[in-house]
Amino acid sequence: MAVHVVGLSHHTTPLPIRERVALEAAELDDALHSLHYAGAAEVVILSTCNRTEIYARDGADAAAVDAARDFLCTRGGLSDDDAARFVYTRSEDEAARHLFRVVSGIDSLVLGEPQIQGQVRSAYELAARQNGRGRPAGPILSRLFETALSVGGRVRAETQLGAGAASVPSAAVALARKIFGSLEGRSTVIVGAGEMSELALQCLLDEGVSGVVVANRTAQRAEALVAKYGGAAATFDRLPELLRTASIVACATAAPHHVITAEMVARAFREGRRDPMLLLDIALPRDVEPAAGSIDGVFLYDVDDLQQVVDSTLAQRRGEIERADTIIGDGVAEFMTWYRGRSVVPVIQALRGHAERLRQAELERVLRSANLDPETAATVDVLTKQLLNKILHAPTTRLREAAKDGREGEVAEAARYLFGLDEIGGTD
Amino acid sequence: MVTILHGVALLGYLAVGVLQTVSFARGRADVPRGATALVGAAVLVQLGALVAFALRFGELPLVGLGPSLSTLAFLIALFLLFATLASDARPVGLVLLPVIVALLGAALLTGVRPTGEPLAFSGAWFSFHVVLAFVGVAGFAFAFAAGLLYLLQFRELKSKRFGRIFRFFPALHTLDRLGRGSAVVGFCALTAGLMLGWAWTIRFRGTFAMDDPQVIWGALTWVIFAGVLGARIGGPGSNRRAALVSVWGFALVVLAYVVLRLAQAGGAAFL
Repeated sequence: MAVHVVGLSHHTTPLPIRERVALEAAELDDALHSLHYAGAAEVVILSTCNRTEIYARDGADAAAVDAARDFLCTRGGLSDDDAARFVYTRSEDEAARHLFRVVSGIDSLVLGEPQIQGQVRSAYELAARQNGRGRPAGPILSRLFETALSVGGRVRAETQLGAGAASVPSAAVALARKIFGSLEGRSTVIVGAGEMSELALQCLLDEGVSGVVVANRTAQRAEALVAKYGGAAATFDRLPELLRTASIVACATAAPHHVITAEMVARAFREGRRDPMLLLDIALPRDVEPAAGSIDGVFLYDVDDLQQVVDSTLAQRRGEIERADTIIGDGVAEFMTWYRGRSVVPVIQALRGHAERLRQAELERVLRSANLDPETAATVDVLTKQLLNKILHAPTTRLREAAKDGREGEVAEAARYLFGLDEIGGTD
Repeated sequence: MVTILHGVALLGYLAVGVLQTVSFARGRADVPRGATALVGAAVLVQLGALVAFALRFGELPLVGLGPSLSTLAFLIALFLLFATLASDARPVGLVLLPVIVALLGAALLTGVRPTGEPLAFSGAWFSFHVVLAFVGVAGFAFAFAAGLLYLLQFRELKSKRFGRIFRFFPALHTLDRLGRGSAVVGFCALTAGLMLGWAWTIRFRGTFAMDDPQVIWGALTWVIFAGVLGARIGGPGSNRRAALVSVWGFALVVLAYVVLRLAQAGGAAFL
């Protein structure tokens, strides 16, 4: 009745295979149920662009791992050799630890990225939803995923694993925020109207910038971008004027020369500009003359600088893994205590059921032969119940403690042997 | 009770200071959430200590070195608390908390008790004069802290070093706004406080007492403070210039205080 994860991820598998195996949202429901009927008592599928993982609990025939592996191999067209190279399996506490690391972002392509938490939540909620064909995620996987989400939340709250900018666009936004605080209402000029310009514009609009002007060599392409996102279009000849007021200037043209010179920037300040200016030069070759960065009040960053922010963030995040692993270790211990505790419940139930049946039988025999009045019979009933509870208290407690210590198997076996539970039919 | 409460407040400020320093040293992006609450608790305890002083000795803690330093530390802590509640400026405590701890520590070392000397200048005029002057100095201290952080963050951003300072310190805009706000509040309070003091001196003594160390220090502080605000006027770079003047100006004010204080060897008063 073990819990397993069977999957493949960016750590083990090249993108073309991950693409083949990944499931669309519309396919998940059928996949969950096919795995359920193939032998997994409970199942949750986590499928993102970087991983497809099947979390499953064995049914009576312990076929969950085979079912999950077959599913992945069939879907990805993987041979046995491929499966051995790409597909990994973890069981019990290692499966729990793996999920907790995944949900915390430690296992992600970009260390600490926050989206994975939402993706894990969606995967769990889909499997936990009652849909007329049973619930693929039953009590054990539900507990596993709820603990995982709680651990993920703790890791984010108590460590810096998710802090800072870990991508080039977010680095640009982080720099802007370190200069201007909130970007709400900051006037922005986008120089160029290509793909990178559009990406920069989207990022900045998400931060609430306003008064956007898209300046391009030809007005036509600038107008096309403006039609999509709003703002005003301009040509390069208006740049000196725009530099006098814009807080953020993002440049991403394909021009072979500097579109913004140090002299143009200096003139903007000479003509009365006071506020700082952020120049984001994400073009190659660069659009902004590097000397502009030495002007007081000008903050000039190119692609290498933005990458430096990203590198610094990732280095900082790597330093947090140890602390995150401590939290994850606590989560694994908590889950395993509960999980192992569940495995002794049938033994405890069998023991108590067996004892109760013996008590009832003996009580009936005594009542028949001794001809007791109802009051005395009730007293004897209570007495035997109390006696039974006192006798069973110690074995019950020891079984639960053994589960906490990971010795539930041997102790449960001993209980079955000593009390003859197997002979009388095991569970009750 | 007065000393015990002061000690507790000192420990509170010290604890937040250590928390901030550790957070900064570990390269965290922010101060732990409980830090502001701890500053608030320490401020409340110190308020309790100052009230206990007033109840026990029958006077406000505005005269004498110990009480004055404690009141000044309290006002700086209030500035810090309001600023951190109103904006994401918790790291300013990295500079201010050591100042607060030093002031409070000095107050405890010299003893938080009245001087026992009779005062010519007393009553409501005196209380307003001292409180307003101290608000001015506290505002200046805050402008100093904001300015120092501004300069360090500015250097980090300009030199493209994206390390601990970049992550931990607030945005330049936030620091500039805090520096400007505290300078304006502080300058107005200091001006009003000095005017009250000078008005009283002229009315009751008929002279300006220009040789009085307190008057010298007050006038010097006011002139430097005016320079801080003046530095904000002008073209590009005025924000950085203002931060620079705030830092050097406050250092000069502290130096002037120490020099004047040493010249008055053994005096029990603030100056």
